[in-house]
Amino acid sequence: MEPRLLAGFLYMSDLNTVASPSVDPTSIASKPLTFAIVVRCGPDQQSQALSAFQFTQELLLQGYKVLRVFFYQQGVHVASKLRVMPQDEVNLTALWQQLSLEYNLELSVCIAAALQSGIVDQQESSRYELDNDNLAPQFTLMGLGQLAAASAESDRLVSFGG
Amino acid sequence: MPCLVTLTHAPYGSRIAKDSLDVALVLAAFEQQPAVLFVDEGVLQLLPTSQTPSSHKHIGKIISALEMYDINEIWVEQESLDLFGISEDELSQSVTVITRSNIAQLCAQYDQHLVF
Repeated sequence: MEPRLLAGFLYMSDLNTVASPSVDPTSIASKPLTFAIVVRCGPDQQSQALSAFQFTQELLLQGYKVLRVFFYQQGVHVASKLRVMPQDEVNLTALWQQLSLEYNLELSVCIAAALQSGIVDQQESSRYELDNDNLAPQFTLMGLGQLAAASAESDRLVSFGG
Repeated sequence: MPCLVTLTHAPYGSRIAKDSLDVALVLAAFEQQPAVLFVDEGVLQLLPTSQTPSSHKHIGKIISALEMYDINEIWVEQESLDLFGISEDELSQSVTVITRSNIAQLCAQYDQHLVF
């Protein structure tokens, strides 16, 4: 396959060449690499947050398995369904939701970081007796353990932001 | 699958130091045997401080939990210590000091590398 330009700086084929010595290259061809993505930058950090999305989208387009996208630190803000973008700007929340629907992609949001940032789902809203909830559909609140699990189960952990 | 967690942020002023230590602790709790590397302002997390900004949790308490979670590989970059005029015996933990030129080699020993 011809290498495709990804996010302007990285070729997908590069990902195979940086494989760690423990991974047999022949096994890569037969079994696509499994990725886990960590998003630590907020949607206001446009270029980084967009890179995270485009990278994930490209992985899925090319048939790689993405185990989970884990939103942590400032990254949790993208999971609010109350974000309203100017019409001529990209709405990352909607993009992630669409990608999740299309590929059945798991979007996990760190529950501790989310609660501190005012991102709550119905369950947490009633637990803390809040008036409302604002977690966007397709996103799920999860513990930090899901990041550790993603790290353990994936061939590559790619982190954006910081 | 060992993971190296690099901490580059000062202990207070933002939540990042605490958040990144939390990741190291959770990785350890999931028996991922993470190692921790302190560079740049991150080395300030290792200074024993008697006073903490009132709105913050004492970072030293989390640092001292590293050992309890069996995180025994704690690396500190020599050049970062020099930058702040800190000597190794001032640090709150027993650490291994590593020079900048050896960091790449250190990273190569780990399957994954998370930089905070």
